[in-house]
Amino acid sequence: MALNLDRRHFLGLAGAGAGAAALSACGGPSTAGPAPATAAADIDFSGVKPAASIDFWSNHPGKSQDVEKAIIEKFHAKFPEIKVNLVTAGANYEEIAQKFQTSQAAKSGLPGLVVLSDVWWFRYYSNGNIIALDSLIKQLDVKVDDFQKSLIADYQYEDKQWALPYGRSTPLFYYNKDHFKAAGLPDRAPKTWQEFAEWAPKLKASSGAQYAYIYPALAGYAGWTLQNNLWGWGGSWSDEWKFNCDSAESVAALQWAQDSIFKDKWAGVSSKEAADDFAAGITSSTISSTGSLLGVLKSAKFNVGVGYLPGGPKNESPVCPTGGAGLGIPSGVSKEVQLAAATFLKFMTEPENTAQFSAATGYMPTRTSADMTAVLAATPQIKTAMDQLAVTRVQDNARVFLPGADQEMAKSAAAILTQQGDVQATMTALKATLEGIYTKDVKPKLKS
Amino acid sequence: MTRQLTDRPRAVVEAKPAATPRARWSARTRRDFFVFLALALPNLLLIAVFTYLPLFNNIYYSTLDWTLGSASATVVGLDNYVTFFTSSDATKVLGTTAIFTLVTVGGSMVLGLLVALALNSRIRGTTFARSAVFAPYVLSGVGVGLVWLFIFDPGYGVLAWLLRGLGQQSPQWINDPQLSLVMVMIVYVWKNLGYCAVVYLAGLQSLPQDVMEAASLDGANGFKRFVTMSLPLLSPTTFFLLITTMLSSLQAFDLIRIMTPLGNGTSTLIYEAYLQAFGAFNRAGYSAAISVILFAILLIITVLQLRFVERKVHYS
Repeated sequence: MALNLDRRHFLGLAGAGAGAAALSACGGPSTAGPAPATAAADIDFSGVKPAASIDFWSNHPGKSQDVEKAIIEKFHAKFPEIKVNLVTAGANYEEIAQKFQTSQAAKSGLPGLVVLSDVWWFRYYSNGNIIALDSLIKQLDVKVDDFQKSLIADYQYEDKQWALPYGRSTPLFYYNKDHFKAAGLPDRAPKTWQEFAEWAPKLKASSGAQYAYIYPALAGYAGWTLQNNLWGWGGSWSDEWKFNCDSAESVAALQWAQDSIFKDKWAGVSSKEAADDFAAGITSSTISSTGSLLGVLKSAKFNVGVGYLPGGPKNESPVCPTGGAGLGIPSGVSKEVQLAAATFLKFMTEPENTAQFSAATGYMPTRTSADMTAVLAATPQIKTAMDQLAVTRVQDNARVFLPGADQEMAKSAAAILTQQGDVQATMTALKATLEGIYTKDVKPKLKS
Repeated sequence: MTRQLTDRPRAVVEAKPAATPRARWSARTRRDFFVFLALALPNLLLIAVFTYLPLFNNIYYSTLDWTLGSASATVVGLDNYVTFFTSSDATKVLGTTAIFTLVTVGGSMVLGLLVALALNSRIRGTTFARSAVFAPYVLSGVGVGLVWLFIFDPGYGVLAWLLRGLGQQSPQWINDPQLSLVMVMIVYVWKNLGYCAVVYLAGLQSLPQDVMEAASLDGANGFKRFVTMSLPLLSPTTFFLLITTMLSSLQAFDLIRIMTPLGNGTSTLIYEAYLQAFGAFNRAGYSAAISVILFAILLIITVLQLRFVERKVHYS
């Protein structure tokens, strides 16, 4: 057979070949059957030698890079056989999640230990991306009972422990003491939003600030902090798996928030970071994470006061959600790496180190035995955050277990708080969206 | 008698016996072929690996119900496409894409042409002005986005400061989805009009001066010369810019990502594909389907432009 291969034919053949190769080389997920069981049996680490080096992926919550480095140095001194490489894997929880899940898809480059936020860990669990820590906890004798109960319970599912608490926070009410004094107000956070509504006009008139109160940036975690308003009015994003964000109580809470901006005109909405707006003097008060506390205290040129989150007409307490991040170990790395990571995880969460982390950031100490005397002497405001932990409430399922729900909540909040959209209609639409996500992405993965 | 030079090769070819296939695959041809392979194969390999492999992979992924990060997926055929086109997402995303593309392409080209006309005039400082106009185009989109975010910030941005000076409150550029789109489009046009201006300027400077002078002698004023002479003669430049700016506008990502990370109101096709896979939803299969739709749209637009718009172009 004659070989008549000119350049045009060659290019055609090459293109076809590339296409065929591409199709045959398609990697990605397996379509052979159902996903592997996520609640894998306890891994046996007996006889396993820890790896010599692990990567620790962090977004340095609360600007914690320096303190993370310091704790790692201490770890190296105690465990010279394990090297921990601190990797900046994103600027926030979403970016670190993006990198982690991309590595899962690529099946390479996974870390030994990763920071996972309150809205991400369950997804990692349901995708089989992280391991249960129980056998490691037993082998390394991690004192689980010494952790703050509500914080460690956040990562328990199916009677297993999927992560340990790390940079854990709650929202705090921040206020400008100088503004409050000038307005003749008491030096404390308001007990309820109704009380603050009475204070706000005086604050705005006397302070010279743009707002008496600024709502946290919607692109951040609006779904997190707005739970305070919803709960205060007796509403919520969801009650277990019943989505009641369109209930009369929830609508009333968000209507009040909308009125504070458009009708009463004493509140605004932050565009980037409410804590920065507050520290810059744009507003007399705001709600932000305890993880922002040290940053605010450093940058504010006025006296900063902090207090519990205000209650609402139905509930004065508990109206404060927990939040922040934990640390988990990926399933896609070797047992040696997992053991080394667990050794570091144990060290990182020891009382002395959680106190050091708390002192540097404002995040809450995760261990009950952490000696906070020196920390509280230097930053007494942290005590408020620690005390508030006793009156926290578990977050709504809709926010923490539904993929993308936080973003959908933020979009709805934007429609209500910046476009003056109809609250009832917006919440009804959100409910439909949340139900859609639940039905498609969560319900099939829940254990019956 | 002189023979035409063009006859010679024909005579030589005719004198030769017809080449058999074996003769055609001669040693010399083979050598040429191997040289060709050596030169072309590395590039073809790179194109295959980095362009066609991801393309075909993406088409394959678009047929899966796959959560990014999950080791398993279900084959769902065209379900992801059906879901997209039957959901409210389609109208919203396609609408945003259309508005963003029309405004940014139109804005960049019209303003670019006006700037080019200004730069083409014989006044002092045009060399500096050309550099200044082109500079934003070569700046990093991330840096540009961050700086403009400070300008638009309703709390402490320059715009807010100016508006407060006039007794006005700043609009919620960043939180309000409609204003977010306007904000991103303004910045995109600002960043890219320099490119259009420079290309148009090159076009203006290559216009035949004798034709323009003849029109002038015939009494055509500046505006008439521009409309009836310059614009038609600039049509190859306009055609080139239309294709390149439209393709880059449809693929605009960095400014949207930096200025509006949630994509609330600014979710164009490419950004929606990103959000669906790498945002909070992790719907990798659905995201792949959106990418394929974007690919198809780009392909159709390019073919249509080449087939129909080019007919209106005057090359001389």
